[in-house]
This record gives sequence, structure tokens and C-alpha cells, in this order.
Amino acid sequence: MSAQKKRNFQIEAFKHRVVVDPKYAEKTWMILEHAIKEIYNHNASGLSFEELYRNAYNMVLHKFGEKLYSGLVTTMTYHLKEISKSIEAAQGELFLEELNRKWAEHNKALQMIRDILMYMDRTFIPSTHKTPVHELGLNLWRDVVIHSSKTQSRLLDTLLELVLRERSGDVINRGLMRNIIKMLMDLGSSVYQEDFEKHFLEVSADFYRCESQEFIESCDCGNYLKKAERRLNEEMERVSHYLDAKSEAKITSVVEKEMIESHMNRLVHMESSGLVNMLVDDKYEDLGRMYNLFRRVQNGLVIVRDVMTAYIRDTGKHLVTDPERLRDPVDFVQRLLDMKDKYDKIISLAFNNDKTFQNALNSSFEFFINLNARSPEFISLFVDDKLRKGLRGVSEEDVEVVLDKVMMLFRYLQEKDVFEKYYKQHLAKRLLSGKTVSDDAERSLILKLKTECGYQFTSKLEGMFTDMKTSQDTMHGFYTTVGPQLGDSPTLTVQVLTTGSWPTQPSITCNLPAEIMGVCEKFKSYYLGTHTGRRLSWQTNMGTADLKTTFGKGQKHELNVSTYQMCVLMLFNNADRLTYKEIEQATEIPATDLKRCLQSLACVKGKNVLRKEPMSKDIVEDDAFFFNDKFTSKFFKVKIGTVVAQRESEPENLETRQRVEEDRKPQIEAAIVRIMKSRRVLDHNNIVAEVTKQLQARFLPNPVVIKKRIESLIEREFLERDKTDRKLYRYLA
Amino acid sequence: MASCRVRSSSIGKLTIIILNCSAIKAASKELERIDNVFYTYANGTSGLIDPEGIERLCSDMEVDHTDVRVLMLAWKMKAEKQGYFTLEEWRVGLKALRADSLSKLKKALPELEKEVRRPSNFVDFYSYAFRYCLTEEKQKSIDIESICQLLHIVLGSQYQAQVDSFVEYLKTQNDYKVINMDQWMGFYRFCDEISYPDLNNYDPELAWPLILDNFVEWVREKQS
Repeated sequence: MSAQKKRNFQIEAFKHRVVVDPKYAEKTWMILEHAIKEIYNHNASGLSFEELYRNAYNMVLHKFGEKLYSGLVTTMTYHLKEISKSIEAAQGELFLEELNRKWAEHNKALQMIRDILMYMDRTFIPSTHKTPVHELGLNLWRDVVIHSSKTQSRLLDTLLELVLRERSGDVINRGLMRNIIKMLMDLGSSVYQEDFEKHFLEVSADFYRCESQEFIESCDCGNYLKKAERRLNEEMERVSHYLDAKSEAKITSVVEKEMIESHMNRLVHMESSGLVNMLVDDKYEDLGRMYNLFRRVQNGLVIVRDVMTAYIRDTGKHLVTDPERLRDPVDFVQRLLDMKDKYDKIISLAFNNDKTFQNALNSSFEFFINLNARSPEFISLFVDDKLRKGLRGVSEEDVEVVLDKVMMLFRYLQEKDVFEKYYKQHLAKRLLSGKTVSDDAERSLILKLKTECGYQFTSKLEGMFTDMKTSQDTMHGFYTTVGPQLGDSPTLTVQVLTTGSWPTQPSITCNLPAEIMGVCEKFKSYYLGTHTGRRLSWQTNMGTADLKTTFGKGQKHELNVSTYQMCVLMLFNNADRLTYKEIEQATEIPATDLKRCLQSLACVKGKNVLRKEPMSKDIVEDDAFFFNDKFTSKFFKVKIGTVVAQRESEPENLETRQRVEEDRKPQIEAAIVRIMKSRRVLDHNNIVAEVTKQLQARFLPNPVVIKKRIESLIEREFLERDKTDRKLYRYLA
Repeated sequence: MASCRVRSSSIGKLTIIILNCSAIKAASKELERIDNVFYTYANGTSGLIDPEGIERLCSDMEVDHTDVRVLMLAWKMKAEKQGYFTLEEWRVGLKALRADSLSKLKKALPELEKEVRRPSNFVDFYSYAFRYCLTEEKQKSIDIESICQLLHIVLGSQYQAQVDSFVEYLKTQNDYKVINMDQWMGFYRFCDEISYPDLNNYDPELAWPLILDNFVEWVREKQS
């Protein structure tokens, strides 16, 4: 234990060569080969893992890795060949089962073999870049078993046949299928694809091509789509059960192509059951199905949308140009609203609220509503009807709903200025005859118009309301101040209208009865006394009167009449018989208005407070009129006035249109000047585009009219043409 | 310094001419002659050559009074009022033409015509022709009938086909009762730039006056 001498231990190499038994390798290999055989023969239990591992280890260590490896290859190949034969020999149904079983066994064997040869797998193989054991095992399986000439096609055919059977309704062994498919996947994605998937897709395409052809000949659209949907779901389920997940997209696109894309047009246009029929009959479920299926294919939804758009435009066009429909404006508008509701519902329930469909619907409405130049007038008449009676007793919320719908239609109008003109006229009539259902509703709509179009649009309308209120105050003041002096005079109610705010009416002659004139003059002087510098002119064509009338047998009635009618009737206080001519002279009412007035007093059943000789409907110069003593009515109050808003006659319509055109000219000019003032120099096309853009909230200007206005401005030296470039205009400061 | 003679016409215009010695004499002689010719045709009371005088002048020059060369003469004079020449205008014109006698004036006419027809001058002449016809103070347009006559006079020789066609159009259409300067100038541009009668290079996208758009449409309808 003395450590005096420090001795370094050295391990020296053998001085003599270790002679390895040349047969050593061979012997060791035999052991391993035997072991492999046993493994394949299901006799692995008798083997010692440790010993085998050591043997393999030693072989590699002693540089016999090559021999080991090549031996492995040979042996495994041999065994697999045997297995292959047994698989090939399997009959009918048993083929797949045998294959499956052998595959499972092989995997187990392979694992064991790999474990045994682990050392080689980790050292020799990487350094020599050989295929690792497990992979080798798979490759050999693939090459020897799967790709054996007999098995390869048989396997594919079997698998495809099973799929076909399942598609035809049979139940197949899905578990087995899954295992086999998994085997192919394990062998490599190219094996799965080349040996199975590729053919599967081809065969499926053929299958669905045939089936879809068959269905399309025999089914209506709705049923066809049901079948297509079912097939699609089936395939997805199939994939989830026994195919590679990556195949889903491929097989679904096969089904989509064969069943949907190839027949898209035919389906959509199918007679009695196609898209149009579904729309007409509100077939929400079928439409929803069509939407969901067609959105899977390219341009599928484009076709659906285009057909729907064409149909809506066509129906809409017929609706707005049908002479029958045009007789009743309120009904006309109601039908438009109903149509919009219908398609809104379809888009929401069946088309997933798809924005592109919404847009198509909107653009279609915009298209056909503007085909009829009277749409603005009719929409105003619809509103008028609602505000006079339609909304009576309706809750505030429901009123808002109706008004919002009206606004929706209003937005589609290109000629909003025409709407404004009519709306003003109708509103004036409503206000002056006191016939509006709800002041709140009126104001609500004006507010909506203001929000939509800006302050300018509604300032005059609001002015009308202001006038009404002010007039009330004025009347109150009048009666307080002048009341006592009036004594027995008729009770007068005056609305003072500011000229700019109300629709312009040409002033018409009319001689008021003396009693009326008297109190009117008193009002006039009262008013002008408090408002110097103003001028009042009586609008006799807009007034009403209530007359207490006593007839022949003493029956009393209160007649509600227009001012003209009052003038005519008052004449009969002093005469029993009057000719048309005498009436005309006395009242000085213009012929057309007078004739209409007399017709309403003498020719309408139930309202004939006058009698006419002869009894004809037309009024001629020599007709004589009598006070109708025999008049009866079950009502105490009889309404004969005619101040209701009605759709215009053709000549009236023409006149309004002309006035609208005249009003547009200064607006166009103002736009041109505004644009040129800021741009200084601009070419013709751009001016037209800018002007159109600036005015589009009110109307669509005609390019020819714009050009005319430009030329007028050139003449008045607001603009000039550029001397060199003939496309340009210049602003003249 | 030689004396400067100051001449005043009877309307009260003063013209002071300052030249160097010898030129004054020659110039004043020329001026005298020019003035003399003026007074041959001028109206004694007004001191202007009036329509009657112009007619006499034309007859002496052996041109028709509707001849375009009369208009050209007016242009050269920068005459302001149709049918009248003032002394000043007369002087301007005849001096520019170097004509101090009737015969010289007559001889100057062909040269004048050539000068006017030069492209650089013609546009100016053309627009002058329009302004010359505006008789009232704030007047901006000329009636159709007069325009047609004017077109014949001014453009008839050069663009007969277009003028004939346009005149026919003007007489048949109802949209326009008068023509303004912009439309008048537009028509010349039309004759100058647009190939006729095919009208192939007429581009309605460019800012042609609306009346010409309508005219082109009318022509095309007739042709089909």
C-alpha cells in the first residue's frame, strides 16, 4: 500500500492478433436468421431477446454489419414472399381479411426484429445511409406483398367494389376498410395516392357522373338537390370513417363537380321546379339547399344570383308598366313593398343574408322603380293615404315601420325632386283640410327625409307646419280683438301661407258672397294692421266651408263643401233657378273648375244638393240648376268637398313634369358654376360626371341638358371655351 | 417744325397726326385724297357713309353690295356698325390698303380677299362677320334667316356643301330660333376639321356645341 512507486496503469493493446472465428459471422447470422423465422412463425415466445440483441450487436461490432443487413433483407423478403402467396390464395371475401391479418402480424414481427437489430439500426445503418429496419420492412411489404402482380390490382378492385356496394346501400365492414386503408397510408402517402386514392377519385367521378345524369332526367330540382346533398354528406362521412382526412376535399370536389357544377344551368332553369318556381312559391328549404350546394362550386352563386336578378327585374318591370296596376297608386306601392318583403325574407331565410344578393335585390328595385316616371308621384300618394287614414289607430312603432319602408322605396328613386314636388302638394292639402291622422307621424317622416337628403330638402316643408301653427295664433288674436264687432257674421278660419314654402298655385278669380267678403275684409285689415309690408291674396281654390242648410221638408243638414261650391250654393239663397251662364257670371269662376264644381253638386248620387235640367252628366251653357228640395241623406253632416289628393290626369302630369324640368335648369347651372369655380379649367366629360355626382341625391341630369346649360353659361360669359384645346372649358371670374 | 394740320370730322373726333417734315406733306396729301373719296359717298347731314352711300360705292366699284368683299372691306376698316362707315374707319381701311382713289380701292380688292382668306386672318374675319351683324346694344344672337345669308356670304365659296346642308338643317329644325357666337364659331371649326360628307372624325365626346351634335345626327339620318 505504499504509494511510493507511482505506477501508471496502462492497458496495452493485445500483442497478438485476436483471431475471430471466420465462421463466427456465419454462425451468428444463422442464429438470427432462425430467430426471424421463428418470429414469422409465431414462435417468438421461445426466443431470448437479450441473446439475440447481443448477437446482432456483436456482428455489427465486428464489422459484419453488411452481412447482417443483407441477410435481413434476404430473409425478410423470403418470408414476405410466402405471406404474399397465402394472401393471393385467399378466396373472395377472405382476401382482405387475410391481408389485414398478415399485415398486423408483419408489423408485430417487424417491431421485434427492429428491437433485436436496434444497434445496427442506430449505428451501421445511418453511417452507411441504408434504409432503417422499420422502413425497410414497410418497403419490402409494399414491394413484395402489395405490389405483387396478383395482389395489386385485386386489392384495388376489392376496395373499389366495397365502396360501390356501400354507395348502393349495402353495409360493409368499415373497420376492415379502415385498417387496409391505414396500411396503405402507412406505406407512404404516394402509395395511398397511387394505389388507391387516384383510382378511387376516378371511379367516383364516373359513378357520380352516371348517377347525376340519371337523377337529372328523373327528378325535379328540389329532389335532385336533396339527393346531391345526401351524397355529399355520405362521402364526407365515408372519409371520416375509413379514408385519409386529406381525401375529403378531393372527393367532395368530385361530387360537387359531377353533381352540381355539370348540371348547374339545367337545375336552375328546370321547368316547373327550377329557381324561379322556388322563388315564386317561397320554397325556403329548397332555396337554402340550393344556396349551400351552389356556393361550393365556382360561379355557382353567380348563376343563382343572376337568374334571381333577371326574374326580379322582369317581374318588377311588369308590375310598374301594367296599366291595370297604375290605376290605383296606393295598391301599386303596396305591391312594391310586398315584393320587397318577400325577397328580403328569402334572402334572410334561405340565402344566409348574403350581401351580394342584397345588393342584387336593391339594384333590381332601383332599376324597375325608375322605369315608371310616375313612381315618385305614386309613392307620395301612398304616404298621403297612410297619413290620412291608413295609419289611424296604429301603434307608434308600427307607424315607424311603415314610414321606414316608404323611405326605403324613396331611396331607390332617381328623381327625388319630383317626389318632393308631389309630397309638398299632398302635404299642403292634408294640412289645409286638417286631414292628417297624426302630426307626430308627419314630423317623423319629414325628419327621416331630412336625415336622408339634408336640410334643404325639408326646410320648406317645415315652413308649412310653422305657418299652420302661426295661423292658429293669428286666428286667436283676431277673434279676441275683432270678435265682438263681428256679430252674426259667418265664422272664419284663416290659414296664412308664406308664399315660398307652399306649392305655387295660380290665383284664380272667384267672387265671394257678400257676407263672406265682409268678414274677410275685417280679417285682412286686422292682419295687415299687425304685419305691415305684407300682401295677402285669397286662395279660393284651397278653401272649405260648412253650410247649415234647410231643405224642402225642413230637414236640416250641414254641408261640408269647397269654397267654389259655397259660392255657387249661396246664390240659391236669392234664386230658385239659375242657368250655367248666370252662375258663371255671378261667381266668375273659370269654366273647367266651375263645371267640375257643378258636377259634384248635381250629378253625384247621394250628394246632389242641386238638381240639373237636363239630367246629363256633362255641363253645357244652357243647363239650368235648381236647389234640390228633395235632397235626403242619413247623415247630418254631408261631405261634398273635393280637396283630396288624387293621381294627376295626363295633362296635369305633363305640366308638373315641365315645371320640374324648369326647376332643374338653375340647379344644373349652379352645379356647373360651383365646379368650374373650384377647378378653373375642366374638360367636358369631367364636368358632366361631376355635375351628375353632385346632383344625384336629387335627380339624374340628362347629359344633353347639361351641355345646353353649359352653352347658356358660355353665352352669358360665365364660361368660355379654351382657345387651343377644344375639350376644355374655362371659368371666367 | 412744319405745321400739323388738325382735321376734325363733323362728329367731333379730333385726330392729331405727328410725322416728320416731308412725310407729313405726302401723307397729308394722301389723307386729303382719302377724305375726298369719303365725302363723295358720305351723307351730308350725318357725316357718315350710310347704307345708301355704300350701295353707291359698291355700284361704282362694280361689286354687288352683298358681295363678301364688302364685308372684307368693313373688316379692314374695323367698322363697328353694319351699314355705316365713319371717316375714321374709312381712313384706317384705305390707308391700310394704300388706296387713295376709287380705282385704287377697286384694284385693292383681290389682294384684300387673298389677305382675308389666309388662315391666320380668316378666323378673325369670320368672328368679325358675326359681331358686325349685331345691331342692338345687348344683342348676343342673330336670327336664323340672317345667319343663313351670312353663312352663304362668308363660307359659301369655301365650304359650299357644308353650308348648304347646314342652312337646310337650320331652316327645317325647331329647337333654335337664333344662333349665338359660340355656335357660329363652332360651325367654322366644324367645316375646318370635320371630313365631309362622311363625318367620320366627328367625336360627340368632344365639346361641340349641341346644335352641331343635332346637325350631325340629322345629316346621318338623311344619309341612311
